[in-house]
Amino acid sequence: MTKKMDKKTRDELIAKADKLLKYETGKVITWCGNCGNYGIQNAFMRALVLEGLERKDFALFFDIGCSGNGADKFEANTLHGLHGRTISTAAGAALANDKMKVIAFAGDGATFSEGVNHLVHGVRNNFPLVFVHHNNENYGLTIGQASATTRCGVKMNGTPDGVVVEPINPLQFVLSLDPTFVARGFSGDVDHLTELFRLALRHKGFAYLEILQSCPTYNRTTPEDWYASRVKYVEDLKDYDCHDIWAARKLVQDMDKEIYLGLIYENNGRKDFLSLQKSREGRETSLVEEVRRYDVRALI
Amino acid sequence: MTRFSIKIAGASGGGLLSMGDIILKALKNMGFYLVAEREYPSVIKGGHACFNVTASEEPIYALREEVDLMMAIDSFSLKIYIDSLKNGGILVHGQERVIEGKEAIEKAKAKGVKEVHLPIRTVALESGGNVLMSNVVLLGMMWKALGLDYKYIEAEVTERFKNKPKLLEADLKCLKAGYDRTEKIMDIKMPGKVPETILMEGNKAIALGAVHAGCRAYFAYPMSPASTILTHMANFAAKTGILVKQVEDEISVASMTLGAMHMGTRAFCATSGGGFDLMTETVSLSGMIECPLVIVVAQRPGPATGMPTWTCQADLDLAIYAAHGEFTRLVLAAGDPSDAFDLTQHAFNYAEKFQIPVVLLTEKGIAETHWTIPMFEQGKIPIERGLVEGEELKKLVNEDRYRITGNGVSKRWVPGASDAYYFANSDEHLEDGSLTEDAEPSRKMIEKRMRKMQTLEEALPEPEIYGDSGGAADISFVGWGSSKNVMRDIIEQYAEKNVKVNYLHFSFLFPLKTEVLKKFFKENNNVNLIEGNYQGQLGNLIEAKTGLKFKGRLLKYNGRPFYLNDLEKFIDANL
Repeated sequence: MTKKMDKKTRDELIAKADKLLKYETGKVITWCGNCGNYGIQNAFMRALVLEGLERKDFALFFDIGCSGNGADKFEANTLHGLHGRTISTAAGAALANDKMKVIAFAGDGATFSEGVNHLVHGVRNNFPLVFVHHNNENYGLTIGQASATTRCGVKMNGTPDGVVVEPINPLQFVLSLDPTFVARGFSGDVDHLTELFRLALRHKGFAYLEILQSCPTYNRTTPEDWYASRVKYVEDLKDYDCHDIWAARKLVQDMDKEIYLGLIYENNGRKDFLSLQKSREGRETSLVEEVRRYDVRALI
Repeated sequence: MTRFSIKIAGASGGGLLSMGDIILKALKNMGFYLVAEREYPSVIKGGHACFNVTASEEPIYALREEVDLMMAIDSFSLKIYIDSLKNGGILVHGQERVIEGKEAIEKAKAKGVKEVHLPIRTVALESGGNVLMSNVVLLGMMWKALGLDYKYIEAEVTERFKNKPKLLEADLKCLKAGYDRTEKIMDIKMPGKVPETILMEGNKAIALGAVHAGCRAYFAYPMSPASTILTHMANFAAKTGILVKQVEDEISVASMTLGAMHMGTRAFCATSGGGFDLMTETVSLSGMIECPLVIVVAQRPGPATGMPTWTCQADLDLAIYAAHGEFTRLVLAAGDPSDAFDLTQHAFNYAEKFQIPVVLLTEKGIAETHWTIPMFEQGKIPIERGLVEGEELKKLVNEDRYRITGNGVSKRWVPGASDAYYFANSDEHLEDGSLTEDAEPSRKMIEKRMRKMQTLEEALPEPEIYGDSGGAADISFVGWGSSKNVMRDIIEQYAEKNVKVNYLHFSFLFPLKTEVLKKFFKENNNVNLIEGNYQGQLGNLIEAKTGLKFKGRLLKYNGRPFYLNDLEKFIDANL
């Protein structure tokens, strides 16, 4: 089951096809055939175009791994950094130039192992950026080891007897941090994912977007059709209130039977980090525009 | 006498800092040049601590281990520190009834130490004060024993308590009682004039240098002795609009700093050795994507936790060799607050112009030591960003960003400034930043990045000679960091005895400049190394790169700075 894009939006996209093509690379893509990254990249490009963002309006930050290997396959300003540090690097960038939209991409390893401390504080600080977690339930680029989201019992490279501990539930974890935006998409539903990217791009604080991503090479436990037969849509739920954190936490508990996609939780009552800075009150310029000589006499 | 020194010893948190502050300001207002350092353990309350002040009519930079006068606030500190009083020095204390450490006092008196004693609690109460004011009685006693003009200390105590008129009245009575009931022992001459100076410590100078250089963001995780840079930057934020953020760990500190620099603002961070260990992966990334990065490392003795509140120069090797892979970097070291102010600005300029990581080293003995220095010369160092600007931005193509150039430096512009865009790629890459693992392009790109080392070395200033530079000196030293302070004082001191001492000081340590160094070795035949570490890290670097050999090595690694007496001992044995 997928959610189809409405006709009006589709027409708009077709009309702006040249803008879409601008971001496409001519290089050889190194992802496996059927990798979920194609769908994610496609949805993201569409969202940028539909939101009217030009190349000068955004900067992309990539972590290490299969998702990170998209860093030079997206024709825009990108930074391919260090493993686990993409949230921090992107946060520094977002604070320095709040006139550009900052989007950071990372996999399971970065998000829930190597850089989980940065996730905690990124959400807590409500840094103004979009964070995309590519959840393919394994470490793909290092040839299929278990990640913190690999399911218990699954045999992976390095765990021949199967993973013996339960996985982290990503959204349960993030929802425990009092986030301001939590959404979940699926790489196999590009139209729906496009809409989620659009919502995330419009959010003013830390937008957490989890994407359930198929990994045809190493993740045999939860392949594309496994997800496709289980995903449901928040939009189809009657009386679901995405401002109710307890409703959200209840909804995301199930990772096996009915897996809900959509805008899970939103709280626009909490200001983003920059808006909370007393020293920045009333300033129209961003930090990148303010590098000049300052007289220090009054500070001595 | 040209200089006099005071040690105030007491329990950590027992009024030591406010006493020290009052004395410093009063002496400064009288026209003295000052050096003041605080020794304290890594605890908030309790433990012994002391505040050392040396004052002189002439500019001075270093301390001597022994002091002329010690003011002991409690008996415990009296016993701990009494041996640092010189023969014939003055002990000021105020114990009552049973005098603890009586034996130590008698021993000191046998060496000629003069005891200045009043029962300060009783005096404070008799004067209409409370027990807490006994320190002020002690202050009055000390001031009189030194033979200093009462009105200066009175003015400073008044300034300190002006918002509490009731307390002030009692405080002044206590001060006067201590002063009046003490005999003058020394007769220190007032300086002829009051020089235009500011009282400044290293960490504040770094913060001011950063503000002056246009730094707009500071990211931090507290670590002694760098922590007060955060304090200063945060205090400056309201007036300057700088964004100051304490984050979850040093890894994130370095990453956020790099992210902010990548977008085109100026940001920096500071830590000590242990924190820098965590930052090193980002140093490597900075080298790879050629994104400027400025990190201050305030050294304290290691390894591991080491001695958090003490000093050393043992992280030069760390600064030079930290982080995986080969890339161009710059390592600088400050020696005093004036240096710190200037070098912080240079650090930003070199980082941006050469698109490299820059490590600015300081030491606990610089970070938290106060000096009277001339007001900073503002505007002396231009802001040089090395960014493509104006019309040229329109002519850029993506490949300009990492273009293979003769000097290794390619054009840099920030994301969004031009239609040209690039991939800042931690993978090895082609000229537009696209990944490559091919042999030839990789070799060429690595060589391009490494060519910046030569370009940078050529652009750096040579080390500076202090003391006589023409003809052979009787004894010579080469060093870096705070060694400069003790050397400047010792050169003057030995000149009075007609002994020629000179000193070659490196502010820009890596890549190492060798021209003046070689000349210095050629002209002087008794060249020694002075360094605050066990291995002689700069010495080893110099010997490895030039084949030169130091005659002797003066190394110190017990957490204390070089004192004048350390130099006297070494010089007198090696002339």
